[in-house]
Amino acid sequence: MEMFLMCLCISVFGLGVAAAAFGTATRSESPDSAVKPELPLVKAVAPAHFFSDHVAAPPPVPPVVQPWQVPIEVLLLQLENHVRLEQAAAESFVEFPTYALLHSKTTSRFMN
Amino acid sequence: MTHELLNGLSSAEMDQVLGLGARLTVPSGTSLFHLGDPADRLFLTERGRIRLTLPMQVRGKEEEILVEERSPGQIVGWSALIPPYRFTLTATAPLETEVIALPRETLVDYFAAHPAAGYKIALNLAVVIGHRLHLFQTMWLREMQRNVEARSA
Repeated sequence: MEMFLMCLCISVFGLGVAAAAFGTATRSESPDSAVKPELPLVKAVAPAHFFSDHVAAPPPVPPVVQPWQVPIEVLLLQLENHVRLEQAAAESFVEFPTYALLHSKTTSRFMN
Repeated sequence: MTHELLNGLSSAEMDQVLGLGARLTVPSGTSLFHLGDPADRLFLTERGRIRLTLPMQVRGKEEEILVEERSPGQIVGWSALIPPYRFTLTATAPLETEVIALPRETLVDYFAAHPAAGYKIALNLAVVIGHRLHLFQTMWLREMQRNVEARSA
């Protein structure tokens, strides 16, 4: 009788251990798990396109060219062009003198 | 070809004046006269072009800056008729150019002998000089205006 009870207890205990082990093995992951492994973010693969959907960034604004940075040949050409434009403006004024023509704005690159 | 200096002259007078001069060919890139040279001849442009320049310091270097350009029919070098008879600009031909060079002394003698023609030529010269004065007065004022605006900005 004692042997029978001892076997029964061991069997019940073994059954409980097996049930616990089974439950642990088959338990689903809880979303609220406190400890989460740090998984690397995987970028979604963009669908293949010949042209990118990416909107091109505006071209970089060229830096303002200071007069001393302009090659001297260009500077001399700008000067000459400026003289021609100013002469033309002066000719217009002399032909028909008005305040507006005297102070008409120049399109000269040398001044703008 | 009508020369601005000879406006109003009869054909005979024109021929007489042009006969006083010598035809010169100025090769491309060659100077006709330089700033400060004695001005003993004035020139009538027949063909090509003459650039009138003044020296200017650009980045520590002397550069010839265009002031005016003269085309066929226009006069170059009227300093030859105005004291102190020194050229105040440098004249260069950017391409092969032909001019008629009129010596001052010969012209003055002709004016003395033909005062009516001399008077018309003097008036034409006044028109040329007056026009340049008006142009440069205007250009000077425009530059001054820009200076004032730059200082007020």
